[in-house]
Amino acid sequence: MGERTRQVLPSVLSVLLALAVCWLTIALTRDADTATKAYLQMLWGGVGNWPAYLEGGNANSVLRPLGESAMKAALLTLTGLSVAVAFKVGLFNIGAQGQMIWGALAAALVGAHVSLPAVLHVPLALLAAAAAGAVWSSIAGLLKLKRGVHEVISTIMLNWVAVSLVDNWLVIGPLRAVAQGHQSSITGTAEILSTAQLPRLLGDSSRLNLGFPLALVAALAVWVWLGRTRSGYETRAVGLTPEAARAAGIPTLWRAGGAMALAGALAGLAGAVLVLGTEGRYPGTLGAPYGFDGIAIALIGNNHPLGAAVSAAVFGILRAGGTRMQLLGVHKSFPELIQGFALLFVAGRMVWLALLNRRRAQRAAVEVPRA
Amino acid sequence: MHFPGKGKAALHLVDSQPMMLRRLHVFALAALLCACSKKTEEAPKAPSPSATATKPPEAKPTVVGLVIDVGGRGDHSFNDASLRGLELWAAGKKYEGGKYVDAPAGEVRQSISSDLAALAPEVKPLPIQPLVLQSKAQEDYAPNLQLLVEQGAKLTIGNGYLLANAVRDVATENPEARFLLIDSQLMDAQGKAKSLPNVRTVLFKEQEGSFLVGALAGLVTKTNKVGFVGGIEVPLIKRFDVGYRAGVRTTNAKAADALMAVYTGSFNSVSAGKEVAQDLIAKGADVIFHAAGTDGLGVIQAVKEARAAGKTVFAIGVDSDQSHLAPDAILTSMVKHSDLAVYQAAKDLVDGKLTAGEQVLGLKENGVGMADVRVDFPGKAEALQKVEALRQQILAGKLTVPGTASELSSFQVAAP
Repeated sequence: MGERTRQVLPSVLSVLLALAVCWLTIALTRDADTATKAYLQMLWGGVGNWPAYLEGGNANSVLRPLGESAMKAALLTLTGLSVAVAFKVGLFNIGAQGQMIWGALAAALVGAHVSLPAVLHVPLALLAAAAAGAVWSSIAGLLKLKRGVHEVISTIMLNWVAVSLVDNWLVIGPLRAVAQGHQSSITGTAEILSTAQLPRLLGDSSRLNLGFPLALVAALAVWVWLGRTRSGYETRAVGLTPEAARAAGIPTLWRAGGAMALAGALAGLAGAVLVLGTEGRYPGTLGAPYGFDGIAIALIGNNHPLGAAVSAAVFGILRAGGTRMQLLGVHKSFPELIQGFALLFVAGRMVWLALLNRRRAQRAAVEVPRA
Repeated sequence: MHFPGKGKAALHLVDSQPMMLRRLHVFALAALLCACSKKTEEAPKAPSPSATATKPPEAKPTVVGLVIDVGGRGDHSFNDASLRGLELWAAGKKYEGGKYVDAPAGEVRQSISSDLAALAPEVKPLPIQPLVLQSKAQEDYAPNLQLLVEQGAKLTIGNGYLLANAVRDVATENPEARFLLIDSQLMDAQGKAKSLPNVRTVLFKEQEGSFLVGALAGLVTKTNKVGFVGGIEVPLIKRFDVGYRAGVRTTNAKAADALMAVYTGSFNSVSAGKEVAQDLIAKGADVIFHAAGTDGLGVIQAVKEARAAGKTVFAIGVDSDQSHLAPDAILTSMVKHSDLAVYQAAKDLVDGKLTAGEQVLGLKENGVGMADVRVDFPGKAEALQKVEALRQQILAGKLTVPGTASELSSFQVAAP
């Protein structure tokens, strides 16, 4: 078994096992038929109802679900990358949520209050979001490097600071859009200008937008950076053995700080994709915990940039489709449950590897056909 | 020789219990295979989604969809009110363990609060099939509405002002489908009100119901201090606040001057509501009105605990009659009949009379009201009489309840 297989297989098996466990849970609480239909609904909701489409259905029955999955996958990819990058330098970035919140706010403000042609407006809003996220994560980075404050503590606390400042004050206070006519209620900031919207790629009915390719490019770029460049190599070296890296003359503080800032920028971009892609404004409360999901995505993706992108795609599909399970009376939270189980099983990576080793040993002795 | 605990356990697992693990492994694979084979087996004969969702019954009922906001099912308040209107009143069904079962007529009758007693006989189950989607996040609203339209819903209801933009976008995209938006107007990108030919919007005059409970609070308070807990500070919640203040001022000027209003900034945090309510109680408030969704459950909890500690404190519920949550502690509830608005729209749909446009429902239109007062306090009969007199004044149009802060400042208390 190659090294690559050893890295990938535990995650794949964990996700499959999680799917099986959740299928069993539904089957036991309801019945097997409902469970299977619910899974089918989830699949159709995630990748589109191809059978219906091929029988001459509406193209939207495929394009819309794909758009929803891609949108969620883009957000999860970016926050997953954020966690993975910080992890490569040996830091736990639990603060992707807070960084995403600031990124979303920055994107919403630039999107609504700066007027520029679209070619400049979108990049500027994205840049502002990345900068805002980077600044927020750098607070934790500086605290760590200058004062030794553990980044888990500081990033968790900074999440709450961000929620309190942005969700509980700015967007419902000074930055709230004002409706004309006193009976109307708006929560959230002013709507962004049309020039700042991320263009939709599959027509108006599907919400697949530029955010998805952007997230994929980000994943590729991070992968190339970590694996092919000098600073990326140094970053990984710092993460593996800081002392050895320092002895080898690597500027460890710069590498750690840089990786943390990059992590914040990526999470900030996730906020921008949410605001510029679908919401059109910073909503009253940014309920979706994509920042926290990023931790799960990164771990299931084995902290590999491309692994994070793949696991984000899988869970984007499950979660976009999962809402359809409600049509059969299955609770809305099952996609999260699957994700949680998968994370739990991935945490048992050692057990998987031990199991796989046994299989290999056995196969060497007696040829056992693989399942 | 001493192994660290973790390593020992791992060794133990791998080496001395291989059978056990293998069995687990086999079980996991079996479960997987089972799931997979099931899937492939089912795939060909799986009917199209619309058929799986709504089982073809005898006479095909009209599908009415409802998307509720992130507060979800079971908030004992705003979402539950609309769900009641659709599931229990309009469809005559209740939701149990993921399925709809027929609700006994008595239960339907019981769920109609007393201020609608006159309308109760008219509430009869209609041939409709409810289809409810809960949302997990803000960006799920639009796809959920769209999904319901695709599932063949003849009417799709967006419950709450948080869904205003999603309803606008989906209604524009599906001009042939029809929508009901509760609690908000439609607004364009500039925040200007707009209308669509396939959307009915319903707003409520929350200030009128809040005025009545405020008047009662002014009569009940012993400390001459009353409190208000709001969710997010938007014009909608301000209407509760302002109406309540005007009511308190009408019956107890002293309490109105000392009125304490706090906004929690959320609709889904029990702990935030509890915290501010405990604070208000510590400052001497003995009647607290909340308009804060799930946060309000925390307010009720705090009041309950204060009562257990020997204080005489009351809470006033909101949207639904919340008396069942704490029968001793809930003075009354300011009921907002989104249940009736939803039922009415469903009925109009069935009767072919569903119109678009904007409805504003107040006390007169049975849009808001005050629930039964089921607790006892000194001078109850007299207090209720006074509140009833005020209600009659509003109904007769002799009293206009302020709905905004500027209207409140020019509000004159009429001579009793």
